[in-house]
Amino acid sequence: MRAREPDTEGYVEQDGVPIYYEVHGSGQPTLMLVPASPITHSRMWKGLIPDLARRYRVVTIDGRGNGRSGRPTDPESHSRAANVADIISVLDATDTDRAALVAHCHANWWAMEVIAENPGRVSALVAVDPGIPYLGKSQPHWIETGPHWGEIIDDPIGWQLNNRHAITTQHRRWVEFFFGEQLVEPHSTKHYEDAVSWALESTGEILAAGDDGFEIDFPDRETVEAACRDVDVPTLVIHGDLDVCQHVERGKAFAEITGGEFVVIEGGGHLTLARDPVKVNRAITEFVDRIEGKPMRERTWPRGLNRRKRVLYVSSPIGLGHARRDIAIAKELKKLRPDLEIDWLAQDPVTRVLEAEGETIHPASEWLASESAHFASEASGHDLHCFQALRRMDEILVANFMIFQEVMEEGLYDLSLGDEAWDIDHFWHENPELKRGDHVWMTDFVGFLPMPSGGSHEEYLTADYNAEMIEHIARYPRIRDLALFVGSPDDIVPETFGPGLPKIRDWTEEHFQFTGYITGFEPPTDDELAPWRSQLGYREDEKVCVVTVGGSGVGRDLLEKVIAAYPVAKQSMPELRMVVVAGPRIDPAGLPAHDGLEYHGYVHGLYRHLAVCDLAIVQGGLTTTMELAATRTPFLYFPLRNHFEQNYHVRHRLDRYGAGQYMDYAVTDPGAIAAEIIARAGAPVDYLPVESNGAAKAAKMIADLI
Amino acid sequence: MRARHPDSEGFVESGGVSIGYELFGDGDVTLLLLPTWTIINTRFWKLQVPYLARHFRVITYDGPGNGRSDRTVDPQSYSLAAQASHAIDVMDETGTEEAVLVSLSMGSMWSLSVAAEHPDRVLGQVFIGPSLPITPPSPARAGIEGAFWVEHVDPQGWEKYNAHYWTTNYQDFSEFFFSQCFPEPHSTKQREDCVGWAMETHAEVLVAEATARGVDHNTVLDLCSRVTSPVLVIHGDDDRISPLSRGRRLAEATAGSLVTVQDGGHIPLARDPVVVNLLIKDFADRLAGRQKAPA
Repeated sequence: MRAREPDTEGYVEQDGVPIYYEVHGSGQPTLMLVPASPITHSRMWKGLIPDLARRYRVVTIDGRGNGRSGRPTDPESHSRAANVADIISVLDATDTDRAALVAHCHANWWAMEVIAENPGRVSALVAVDPGIPYLGKSQPHWIETGPHWGEIIDDPIGWQLNNRHAITTQHRRWVEFFFGEQLVEPHSTKHYEDAVSWALESTGEILAAGDDGFEIDFPDRETVEAACRDVDVPTLVIHGDLDVCQHVERGKAFAEITGGEFVVIEGGGHLTLARDPVKVNRAITEFVDRIEGKPMRERTWPRGLNRRKRVLYVSSPIGLGHARRDIAIAKELKKLRPDLEIDWLAQDPVTRVLEAEGETIHPASEWLASESAHFASEASGHDLHCFQALRRMDEILVANFMIFQEVMEEGLYDLSLGDEAWDIDHFWHENPELKRGDHVWMTDFVGFLPMPSGGSHEEYLTADYNAEMIEHIARYPRIRDLALFVGSPDDIVPETFGPGLPKIRDWTEEHFQFTGYITGFEPPTDDELAPWRSQLGYREDEKVCVVTVGGSGVGRDLLEKVIAAYPVAKQSMPELRMVVVAGPRIDPAGLPAHDGLEYHGYVHGLYRHLAVCDLAIVQGGLTTTMELAATRTPFLYFPLRNHFEQNYHVRHRLDRYGAGQYMDYAVTDPGAIAAEIIARAGAPVDYLPVESNGAAKAAKMIADLI
Repeated sequence: MRARHPDSEGFVESGGVSIGYELFGDGDVTLLLLPTWTIINTRFWKLQVPYLARHFRVITYDGPGNGRSDRTVDPQSYSLAAQASHAIDVMDETGTEEAVLVSLSMGSMWSLSVAAEHPDRVLGQVFIGPSLPITPPSPARAGIEGAFWVEHVDPQGWEKYNAHYWTTNYQDFSEFFFSQCFPEPHSTKQREDCVGWAMETHAEVLVAEATARGVDHNTVLDLCSRVTSPVLVIHGDDDRISPLSRGRRLAEATAGSLVTVQDGGHIPLARDPVVVNLLIKDFADRLAGRQKAPA
C-alpha cells in the first residue's frame, strides 16, 4: 500500500505522448519532483512525498518512457526539448505558476532548461546527484564505454553493458548490474528491488532511445558552463560521495558555479533519496522554508525546570494485540509517577481502545499512514507473508517516522516508548543525531526468520535485516535506553540470526531486559468462571467452541474450514455448540447455517467468552493465544501461512507453556479439525501458569528512567 | 574576561552625543542589537554576541546615558526621534546598508521607528519582551501611573519607580526592578549583572530619560502598520515589566510570529540564552534566504 495517495492525478498529451502527473497536498510553495526517466518513474520519490506533501503542494511527473506515461521508442521523442516541454505542460496542467524543482541525476539537465526558458517560473532548484554534462568529473566507466555505445559487443560484462545493443537485448541484465553498482550502501536489498522493478516497467529499446535522445543537440562545455552561471534561483545540491553514476565532484561543481548550497551524504551512493530519505526530507524542507522566508509557526517554549514530565507512547498499530498490554503498562506507570503526562501516537484500531480508556491521543495521530490497512492489504486467504509485508511497508515507515520526529521535537517529550514501533527504532539508528529524549524499545520477538517458501533468497534477506539491526545496536547503544522483551529468555527461539550471526537467545539476553509476559488483564479466578459462563448464556451441559479470527478480513478461509468440520464433530458430540465470531470485515451471510452454529460480528469482551468456553479455535497471533494460555482454555491454533512470527516465535512460546494445539492450515482437512474438537473440548489442560505482574515490572524499569 | 572581544569599535557623534559602538564578525547579514532602557548598557547582549557573531556581522552600541556613551542629562537626547537617529547614525558610521534589528524591552520603540521610517534598511525585526503602550500595564504598575513625580513616604514595590526615590535610593530601586525582571528561580547572577550595569550610570540620567517619554498607543500602532519586513516576538508569559499581551498585540499588528517563553520573565535573553540565540539565528537565516532569492 502507498503511504499517500494523490489528491488529484491526470495526463497531459505532449506531441502524442501521454504524460502522467499527480498532485499531493495543498501547501505553499509547490515542489515539482522530476525523476531521471526513462530508467525510473515517480515512485522513486515515495520516501519523500508524504512528508513534503504535509507542508507543500507536491507535483510529480512520470517522464516519458516509464511509469504511467507513454512509451515512445524513437530517440527524437527523448530529446532534452521533449522532456522540458513535458515538465512545462505538467506545470500548466496543474495551474502551477511557480514551483521549486527537485530533480534527480540527468533530470537536472532538463530542470536547468526549464529555468532558463521560463524566467520567474522556477523559485529554486534542489539538485539531487545532478548529472550536468562536463562539470566536475565523469566516472571513468562512462568515459571508457561511451565510444563503444553503438557497437555490438560479444558477451559484454559489467560496464560494457552500457551499450545500445546490450541494453536493448539484455535490458534486465543491464538494469540489475547498474543498480547493483549504484546501491553502495550495505543492507539495500529493498531499494535495489524497487529500482530494478521500476526500470523493468519500461523496455531496453526505450532506455537506449532515452540515451540517444540525450545526445541530440548536445551542447559544448562553454555553453553548459554559461547556462549554469545563468541559473538565477537558489540551489541546493545533495550528493552521495560514493555516487558511481554522477561523480560527487560534479555536484560540487554545480553548487559552486550556481552559488548554491552543497550537502554531501558521506558513504551515500546515487540513490540517497531512497536510501537516506529522512536526511533528504529534512535537507529539502530546511532549504525550502528558508529560501521561501517562511515565518516560524507560533509556539511556546516552556522553561526546562518548569516542564511536566511527558511520555509519548507509540503503540504498534498492526492489529489490536498490543493495545491492551500498552494500556496496562501506562496505568502502572501512572501509579508510579502520578505527575506523568502520557500522550499516544497511535492509529486505528488502537485509537478506539485508547479512547474507550480515556487516554490522550496526540492530534498528529491523524496524519499517520495506516500500517494496519497495509497489513490487511498484504494478506490473502490464510496467508500473510509478514516479513515481506514489513519490507513493503518502507514508505509508510518513513512517512510515519517524519511525523513522530516532528511530534517529539515540538512536544518536548522526556521519553518515547515504542511497542514494536519499527520506524522509530530503525530511523533513529540511521539518523542518530535526531534522537530526542530517552527511548524505550519493546518487542515480543527478536529476529526475522525465513519461511521455507522463500528459499535461500529469503534466508539471505532475513539475515541481512538481522545483521543491520545488530550493527545498529552495536554502533549506537545510546538509541535504546531500555530494551524490553515481553516474555522470558525461554521464550526466545533456539535459532541464529543467520549464517555467521549470533544465536538469537544469546544476543537478546545480552541486549534486553525481560518483563515476563504481559496480558494486560487479570485472568478470572476459578470462582468467577461459572458465573461468567452463565452470564454469557452458556449452559453447563453443552460444549462451547468459540471460533474467532480477529478483526481483519484475513480469516475467512479458516472460518470456512472450521465450519465445515462442525457437522462432522456434532455427530459424535451432540452437546457441541459452535460460536463463530466473524469480526466486522467478514459478512456471515455467505457462510453455511447449521443447528447449534451461531455467528456474531463484533463481540464485546471477547476475552470472557474465550475464558469460559470449552474450546477455542483461533489463528496464531500471540495476543489471543497467550490470553487462552492465561485463562487455561483448551484451543487449536492455525498460524497464518508464511507468517514467520506466528509459525516460529509464537509457536515456540506456546510450546514452552504447553499451551494449545498447533495446526497446519495447509494439511488439515475438516475431518481432522472435527477429531481435534472431539478430543479437546472440555479436556483438562496442564499449561504453565502465565505471569501476571509483567506490566508492573515493565513500568518499574521505565519509571527508573524518568 | 569577555567571551568575545569586538573586532573593531568606535564612537559616532549623534545629535551632539557620543555613541560608542562595537563590531563583531563578518557574516553576510548584519544584526544590529539595539540598546534598551539606559539603566543597563550593551553588555546585556553578552550571551548573544559570541554565538551570533560566528554566523552574522553583529553591531552593538550604547544609547546615551550608559556604557561607553555620554551620560547626558538633556532629555532631548532620549526622545524617540533621537534614539532612532542614534541607530541610523551607527548604521551609517559602520557602513551598514541594511540589518536585522534585535531589541529588548524599550528598544522595541526605536526599532519600530527605524523600520517604519527606513524600510529599505531593515531586513526584519526581533523583539524580546517588547515594552510598548499598546495594551494596559500589569495591575501592579497601573497603580503607580501618574505618581512618578510625587514623593512617597516609605515607598513599597512599584512605588519605588519614582523620580524622588531614584535620586535618593538608586541602588535599592535597581535591586527591586531587576528582581521583577527575573521572576525565574535561581536568577541571582542575572540580577547582579543588571544591578552592576545600573551602577555605571546614575539617577539623573534616568530622570532625564523618563522626561523624554510619552509616545501614545496610536503612534505605536501607526508605526506597526508601516512595517513591511518580517517580525519575530519572543515574550515571557511571566513578564512583570511588560505583559505578554503586548508582545501578542505587536505580533498581530506586524503580522509577525510570537514565541512564548512559558514561565519566562522580562529578559529571557539573559535567563534562557540558548533558546533565544537559536530563535534569532533561525529567524535571520530565513531572512538571509529571502535575500538570496532572485530580485
